[in-house]
Formats: sequence, structure tokens, C-alpha cells
Amino acid sequence: MEYLSTIGILIAIYVILAASYNLVIGYGGLATVAHPIFFAIGAYVSGLLAIHTSLPPPVTVLVGAACAMLASLLLAASALRVSGDYLLIASLGFQLGLLQLIKNLEFTGGPGGLGGIPATIVGPARTPAYLVIAALLAIATVFAIRALVRGPYGRAITAMRDEELAFTALGRNAMSMKLVIFAIGCGIAGVAGGLYAFYFQYVSPDQFEVLQSAAILTMVVLGGMGTAFGPVVGAVLLLAIPQAITFLQLPPSIMAPMQGIIFTVLVLVFLFLRPAGIMGHAGRRRRTAGLT
Amino acid sequence: MNPVLRTEGLNKRFGGIVVSDDVNLTIAAGEILGLIGPNGAGKTSLFNLISGVLRPDSGTIRLNGQAVNGQPLYRRARMGVARTWQHMLLFRSMTVMENLLVAPRHYVGESILQVAFGRRSVRAAEHAARERAHAILNRMALDDSADMLVTDLPFGQQKLIGLARALMNDGPLLLLDEPMAGVEGAAYETMQRVVRQEAESGRAVCVVEHNVSFIRDLCSRAVFMANGRILQDGPVEELISSSTLTELYFGV
Ligand SMILES: Nc1ncnc2c1ncn2[C@@H]1O[C@H](COP(=O)(O)OP(=O)(O)OP(=O)(O)O)[C@@H](O)[C@H]1O
Ligand SMILES: [Mg+2]
Repeated sequence: MEYLSTIGILIAIYVILAASYNLVIGYGGLATVAHPIFFAIGAYVSGLLAIHTSLPPPVTVLVGAACAMLASLLLAASALRVSGDYLLIASLGFQLGLLQLIKNLEFTGGPGGLGGIPATIVGPARTPAYLVIAALLAIATVFAIRALVRGPYGRAITAMRDEELAFTALGRNAMSMKLVIFAIGCGIAGVAGGLYAFYFQYVSPDQFEVLQSAAILTMVVLGGMGTAFGPVVGAVLLLAIPQAITFLQLPPSIMAPMQGIIFTVLVLVFLFLRPAGIMGHAGRRRRTAGLT
Repeated sequence: MNPVLRTEGLNKRFGGIVVSDDVNLTIAAGEILGLIGPNGAGKTSLFNLISGVLRPDSGTIRLNGQAVNGQPLYRRARMGVARTWQHMLLFRSMTVMENLLVAPRHYVGESILQVAFGRRSVRAAEHAARERAHAILNRMALDDSADMLVTDLPFGQQKLIGLARALMNDGPLLLLDEPMAGVEGAAYETMQRVVRQEAESGRAVCVVEHNVSFIRDLCSRAVFMANGRILQDGPVEELISSSTLTELYFGV
């Protein structure tokens, strides 16, 4: 049970990550690979605050998210000033550089990671309680993003992605809109980080490598980029299926390559069958789910 | 009284290409100014300079007497510079109605705080925008197309939607870049009528157009441009009958 609950919590955390990444990259059209580092900022800031201060845990998570948001604003404001394409390169540099810094600082625990984060909730109810919290946060994230992109705001985002020049010439500040979307998405990743730190009580820099963004992107693309529930489906599938295979109790020598193969085949099959993702409208040109 | 638009000594070059060479242009309220010239003359670039897509190398752009050089594209739009595009640039994944609803420049639904906490004001703005959009579509006899995907419309009607979108905002200046290219039949008549009505309502309108009869029908004054320079500025008839210009323009 403990094990399954932990998987459930991980799935919820990745639903939050995938949904927020989808907001940035799928809806906002902002190409970034720095999502793991904002996840990390949330985790480290809330973990450190929990260790060194007596702030209530939710406050430390919010501070962590605010730091992720602030850092993302700095990154996006400087990169987007140059161009949209530049954001991709700048985000890569930001991701690699900041993670390197975390690995080399003493107070973050260096390469060994940050341990000793207080348990906060103790006793047998701990795991179920975290499962509920994580699930609620994931549901809230998905529905908040859905509400955001369905209304007039979503229409404006779509217009901006379709024709940014024409959109701007109507008097709309596309730059500030991109910054807002980017900051919200990265702030949400920071919340996921806080949740992670408090549940596992240990944060290691290895969990936030740049390859993480490939994993999250796979979830988004598989589920359906630019759809509200696609990231949920993607995160659940990509995390649950490898776990389900472990229940087959195969010897590790077969299991490890098998997971890799199934993972790859799954992605390829779905990309062929449903290029717009499982939740995407295959074939049809994408439309806004606007009020009209 | 100030003209709505006045450019003073506008210069712009891309490397060796001069797209704007000491351009001095005025447009008055209620006037429809024709802007003609051969391909590559710098007509679209002039619109880009006026609307703020491009920065001039030197010179001043005044809107109702006020210099707007330092204002970015979206601010000039908020000051009332509305324009259409030679290549339309419609929001292609959206319906006709959505294309128009996205246009009002002070749209409250754009602010994240309003979306989160001001549901009532968002709804009121949505309602007002929808009314205005319906009125404009009605003027263009396009009511029935409101819920069609904009790219599913015939070409001429897409051009009309480009104009309709620009008309979602009030403002003193309207710049139309080749509104007639590829437009014929009913859409042609509609375009002509709506452009005329906009000028009658007091807007200053500038039309770039290769269709000379359209210019002749709508404009009393026109400007001829070539190689970034204004070669002639005066009554349309004079301009069209000028042999040097016809030579430059039509190569005959
Ligand atoms: N952003 C740019 N960078 C470099 N050159 C440009 C740019 N924009 C326009 N030009 C060049 O400037 C010249 C003038 O272009 P412009 O589009 O203003 O002409 P135009 O009068 O609108 O022509 P047309 O009738 O074909 O639309 C052309 O030679 C064009 O290639
Ligand atoms: Mg042109």
C-alpha cells in the first residue's frame, strides 16, 4: 500500500509538472527546457526553509513557488527581449548553470543532496495524507489551467500564438502576456517541488537534470499538447505502465530493457496513431475551446 | 488644426535598400488617401513605420500632433492606429467571431487578475465585444459566417474579416494594405462601401492599392511612391494621368 501510495504521489507531482509545462509550451508556445530547475527551486527553497526556520510548511511551499516564479521572470524577461528562439537556448543555459551551482554550494547539500527535511506529518496517516494533498493539488492545477485557457484569456493566447504581429497591432501586449504565462507555469512547477521535498524529506540534484524536461515533454506530447487533460493522461501512462511491469516480477536483467522498449514503442505507436496526442483532436485543425 | 497623421523626414533603410527616403506625409480626418507605387516601393514599410512595427532611422511620426516615435506597436494601436495586412494575418485556428472578439484593445479578459477575480466585468466586456462584432459583420453581410473557421471562408471574405478585425477598435487612423488584392464581386462592393463609411465617420484612412479604379473611386488625393520616395502628392486624376508616373508604374 505504502508503495502504491508513493507511486500515486509521484504521479500527482508529475501531473502538476506536465500540466504546467503544457501551459508554457503547449498553450503559450514558449520553448523552454528549464522546467526541472523551477521544480528544483521550489524543492530546495521549501526544504531549506523547513530545515532552518519554523515557518508553516504551506508558507515554505509558497515561498518556494514565488522564488521559482521570480527566477522564471528574470530568465524570460531577458531572453524574450532578444527573441522567442533565444528562450530555448537561454533556458538550457539557465537549467545547466543553476543546477551546477546547486551541486557546488554547501548549504544545498552539494552533489549529495539536501537531507533532513522535517517529516511535518508523522504517524501511519502520513502517506495517505500526502496522497490526498498531492491529488488535490494536481486536480486544482489542472482545473485552474483549464479555466484559464478556456475563457477570453485562452482566446488571446491562441491569437498570440497564431499571429503575434497582428495580435500586438491590435493593442495587446504580447510580451507581458508571455511573461505572465511563463511565470505562472514555472511557479506551479515550484509548488510541485515543495510537495516533493516535504514528502520525500530528501532532495538530490540528480532529480532535476535537464533530461527531466524530455520526460515531462513526452507526457505532454503523448497525452496531447495544448489540451487540458492530455498532461494528466500522459503522466499517468508514463509513470504507471513501467510500474505495472514491475508487478510481473521478472528478473531485473529482463525488466530494465523491457521497460525501455515498452516505453519507446508506446510513444512511437501513439505518435503514429494520434499525432495530436491521446486527448488531442486528431486530423482537425486545432481550435480554441473558447466561449463561442 | 493638426492632421491626424504627419510624418516628418522619415528615413529607413535595410542595408543597401532604401525603403523610406525623406517621407513627409499628412492625412487629415475624414480623408481617404491613396498610396500607390510599384512593387518594392516601400508602401508596406511606410505602414510598418507608422504603426510601429519598424523603427525609423530618423524622422518623426506625429499622431494628432503628438510624436509617437518612442511608442511600441501595441501602444500606438492603443492610441488609435488601426491597420490591416497585405497578407491578412488572421488568427487561423479561430472562428470569425473569435477573430473579432480578440481585437478590442482594452479587453479586460486579457488581465489575469480580471479573469480570476472580475468575472462580472469580463462577462460585460465579452457581451459588449460580441455586440460590436455582430454589428460589424452585419454591415458586411457576413452574419452567417460568424461561427465558421476563418480559413474556411472564401478569400474575399477573409479580406473583409481583416478589415472587420481592425474596426473592432475606435481610433483616428486606419491603414489598409492592399484591401482589394484578389477581391471581387460582392466583397468588392462591400469593401468599398465600408471604407467610405469609415472615412465619413471621421477616420483618416490610407489605402495602399494597385487597383487604380478603386483608388479613383474612393480617393480625391493620392501619393505616388517609388524607391522609398514620394514622387508626387496631389489629386488622383493628375497622378494617374501623369505620364512619367505611369511609365514608372506600369513600365510602358
Ligand atoms: N524587414 C525587412 N528586411 C529587409 N528588407 C525588407 C524588409 N521589409 C521590406 N524589405 C524590402 O524593402 C523593400 C520595400 O518593401 P515593401 O514591402 O515596403 O514594398 P511595397 O511597396 O509594399 O511592395 P508591394 O507592392 O510588393 O507590397 C523591398 O525591397 C523589400 O524586400
Ligand atoms: Mg506591400
